[in-house]
Amino acid sequence: MVTNADLIALEGKPGNFTAKLNIRPRYIDADACTACGLCTQYCPKHHSDQYNEGLSVTRPIHIDYAQAVPATYYIDPSSCMFLQHDTCQICVPVCQSHAINFNQKPEARDLKVGAVILSPGFGKIAPETLEKFGYGTHPDIVTAYEYERMTTASGPFLGEIKCFSDGRHPKSMAFIQCVGSRDLGCDNGYCSSVCCMYAIKEALVTKEHDPEVDITIYYMDIRTQGKDFDAARERAENIGIKFVRAKVADVTPWDNHLKLTYSTLDGQHKFDSHDMVILSVGLESPKDARNIADITNIELNKYDFCKTETFTPLKTSQNGIVVAGAFQGPKDIPESATQASGAAAIAATILNKQRGKGTDTKEYPDELSVTDEDEVRIGVFVCHCGINISSVVDCPEVATDAGKMENVTYYTENLYSCSQDAQEQIKQTIKDKKLNRVVIAACSPRTHEPLFQETLKDAGLNRNLFEMVNIRDQCSWVHANEPEAATDKSKDLVRMAVSKAAHIQPLPEQTVPVTPKALVLGGGVAGMTAALSLADQGFESVLVEKSSSIGGNLQNLKNTLAGETVGGFLKTLTAKVKKSSKIDVVTDAALARTSGFIGNFNSVIESGKGRKKQEQSFDHGVIIVATGGHEHRPDLYQLGKSKKVVTQQELEAKLAGRAKSRAPNSIVMIQCAGSRGEDLNYCSKVCCNHAMKNILKIKEINPDSQIIVLYRDIRTYGFAEDAYLEARKKGVIFIPYEVDRKPVVTSKGTNVQVDFFDSIMQEDVSISPDLVTLSVGIVPDGTEELSKMLKLPVNANGFFLEAHVKLRPVEAAVDGVYICGLGHAPKPVEETIVQAQAAAAKAAMPLVKGFVTVDPIVSSVVQDDCIGCGICVSMCPYGAIIMEKVGKKRKAKTVSASCKACGICASRCPTFAISMGGFTNEQLISQIEAFGNKTADEKVEA
Amino acid sequence: MGKAIKQREGAVMILGAGIAGIQAALDMTELGYYVYLVEKSPAVGGVMAQLDKTFPTNDCSL
Amino acid sequence: MSDNSFSPKILGFLCNWCCYAAADAAGVSRFQYPPNLRTVRVMCTGRVDPSFVLKGFLEGADAIFTGG
Repeated sequence: MVTNADLIALEGKPGNFTAKLNIRPRYIDADACTACGLCTQYCPKHHSDQYNEGLSVTRPIHIDYAQAVPATYYIDPSSCMFLQHDTCQICVPVCQSHAINFNQKPEARDLKVGAVILSPGFGKIAPETLEKFGYGTHPDIVTAYEYERMTTASGPFLGEIKCFSDGRHPKSMAFIQCVGSRDLGCDNGYCSSVCCMYAIKEALVTKEHDPEVDITIYYMDIRTQGKDFDAARERAENIGIKFVRAKVADVTPWDNHLKLTYSTLDGQHKFDSHDMVILSVGLESPKDARNIADITNIELNKYDFCKTETFTPLKTSQNGIVVAGAFQGPKDIPESATQASGAAAIAATILNKQRGKGTDTKEYPDELSVTDEDEVRIGVFVCHCGINISSVVDCPEVATDAGKMENVTYYTENLYSCSQDAQEQIKQTIKDKKLNRVVIAACSPRTHEPLFQETLKDAGLNRNLFEMVNIRDQCSWVHANEPEAATDKSKDLVRMAVSKAAHIQPLPEQTVPVTPKALVLGGGVAGMTAALSLADQGFESVLVEKSSSIGGNLQNLKNTLAGETVGGFLKTLTAKVKKSSKIDVVTDAALARTSGFIGNFNSVIESGKGRKKQEQSFDHGVIIVATGGHEHRPDLYQLGKSKKVVTQQELEAKLAGRAKSRAPNSIVMIQCAGSRGEDLNYCSKVCCNHAMKNILKIKEINPDSQIIVLYRDIRTYGFAEDAYLEARKKGVIFIPYEVDRKPVVTSKGTNVQVDFFDSIMQEDVSISPDLVTLSVGIVPDGTEELSKMLKLPVNANGFFLEAHVKLRPVEAAVDGVYICGLGHAPKPVEETIVQAQAAAAKAAMPLVKGFVTVDPIVSSVVQDDCIGCGICVSMCPYGAIIMEKVGKKRKAKTVSASCKACGICASRCPTFAISMGGFTNEQLISQIEAFGNKTADEKVEA
Repeated sequence: MGKAIKQREGAVMILGAGIAGIQAALDMTELGYYVYLVEKSPAVGGVMAQLDKTFPTNDCSL
Repeated sequence: MSDNSFSPKILGFLCNWCCYAAADAAGVSRFQYPPNLRTVRVMCTGRVDPSFVLKGFLEGADAIFTGG
């Protein structure tokens, strides 16, 4: 990790680049700094805190935020008195660890690398654009970034929302969408793709703070096209957040309010007053985009984002250099995370031959032996979590109370136990105080247990000698108004944990080898891309396709919105897959059954029909689910009844043909036909782009064609916005309709008639076009059966659920199973390819590693105590207990890798012969006894 | 600071340590490659570290 | 403690995968609920041996909650 560094040159070619870096001095020795913060307290100069968007003041010598990595302070040379004026230096003697060093010079460093991933993020909209909305003229006009910091509990105002002008709590707020996006005035013609989401999020958060506040969102189109995003928009509407389709002309001060002038679709000019106005600013290309492009020689698009192609969305124009994140185009967190994994897969392919050669394996100190004979020495650490815990719970009291308990040799508090400096401190304490059990009272073990267990390992303790107490999510946050009761509860929980901790034992780590092969379900573009990526990384796979040929939905498409032809790409891709010696393609096939677990699956594939039907069984380590989806055909708008009503996909095929009438003179397109609340409850993300693609094609063939598009929100997010603008320029008429006033299509003989309400002219219109085209949605294929077979959860709309929406977007809840393509959610081909590459990267991880680690909390059978009754075998839901013959007797035995540690076996065993690692009878009983202690005390007091 | 830097085979440079850069770095490490994560500011994390909650579930983002 | 404000002691066994996760989610959403519950995390409520429940009552719990 090299921070405070700029890339100044890149030489060489793929596989052998030399990157020249300039590392700017921090003026603080990172190894010596303990992040104590004393220097910041003494520094006399003020410095605008950029982490808080300039809303608060820090000092030139500071750290951005408590959890920052590396946890080292630094001096910002732009305002340091010594570096600017050669005075002061007060920090030097203040620092106890002598970490401050003003003699540090910029350092040049050369890195030899085989591949480069560019992920410089995005830039900010120029102030001139914000000024159009009055930004800078009144303190209560803020950007959404500033507002984000204002609402943050750990932010500069501790989450209290006040007007800057006079400190009153705003009662009426307005969000203005598309500031610096979809705006040719600032040369940003594209849609930033994230602002609608964050505006709704911030509005919802505001309502949480104060349900009475009145919030209006002024928008052109609400673009919540992502998976399950529309549901959040509905939630916002249901709690009273107002959405007004209007263009805002300007914002001006008006008494101590702000006057917002806007024009609605029907041409009316209106105005409204608000206490606070929030500008939903867009994402721009990074400030140093041109510089990066010059150094790396990559091409940029016209908006200065990295230029990529639809079918190679992560490749730059230079071999060996890949791109990920917002630099490739504005995008949200899950998309960025997916692209990152996809980029990793590509880089891994480039470097395939050198895999493992340059890495160091992390070494842990030898594990201290901890046995029953050893004295129990428990360390208790109580986390303040900034103020998340300490503002409600009396942390010092909780810590002191724990300190009184038997076996507790040490107790303390941390501001953030999870921060790097606190981790170091915990490690040191474990060594110094010879702790052999650690109890941390902080947030949820579900998120942070692995982190602290790693700390224990680093300190030479077995990671199971750890117990976590949740005094945040399940205490301070839910009892915010009862500090005393919350403190009592925390004390009880800590006491229970300490009692349990006294009985925990070290558990041995277990590993299971991995079969280095993948099963890929679905032979569409997702499945093929994933299998190819795995093959390029050196892994075999079996590609199962249900139809008679591979290719999937791309076979129905002709060209992309950017103009590339689909056929050529598809031909090359299928040829590569068929030729690859590492991919075994099975067509007319389906998965019959699967057993096993990550690293060790066994699947049976059924293929062929009738007498040729056969089954084959094989072992593999991972599963990639790329089963795809298909066009939904709603029984609406005369689809299937009139020849003049077709879907966008049918129109595309027609346009690619040669018929003279293929681009008729009058066409009406209806968006969201059957979607967003009709047959399908969601937005299918691709239909607006599909419509634009066909519109531009029609206009190319027949420029005189009259096209009317009836829509709810046009969702041409990202650079597709250009196509929307192009269509408008070509005279296509876009008219929004409301859900309660949908257009009506009727057949009159061979003709069709469309009746709709023209919301622009405010009148009913009836026309008989030559053709009606419906933008229908996408439904997933067979997710229900597969969901049962692989135990994969699906969402309410039948799409597979990812393990974590933001951070693990291609992993399924079941270990060793990865999801990509339309089975996950509707998405354009570009995103499908990225997702497939990401799935391949994630799937390759266990294959590369060669083994999987089993959580040591699984069950184990003390065979001496086992009477061989077999109750446990019949009760185990995972088939993880088997009977074996030991001598002449039947004894139970756990298959560790299949065990999910549920403990049903242990609670049913009549002889208590089964023990659960980390949850033994002894531990739980003592935890319950500790629960009782308090009650006993109270009785005495009473 | 004049430290001798070991030249490594199978290394990748990732420019920018926001959510995309960090995720790519973690993945490359898991896949068996050495990563140089180069960031212009003093700390990794990018813009996501500034966010309080994330859409649509309003989970904590840090 | 006054007689008219009965404040029960409740001992809860929470499954790590659902109920414990839900309790975390309640925290994230800042739902407020009475502070009478003391929890024991288990990897599955299947782990809860009937003897744990009896032990809980013996130790003075007014109610036992199992969520899984």
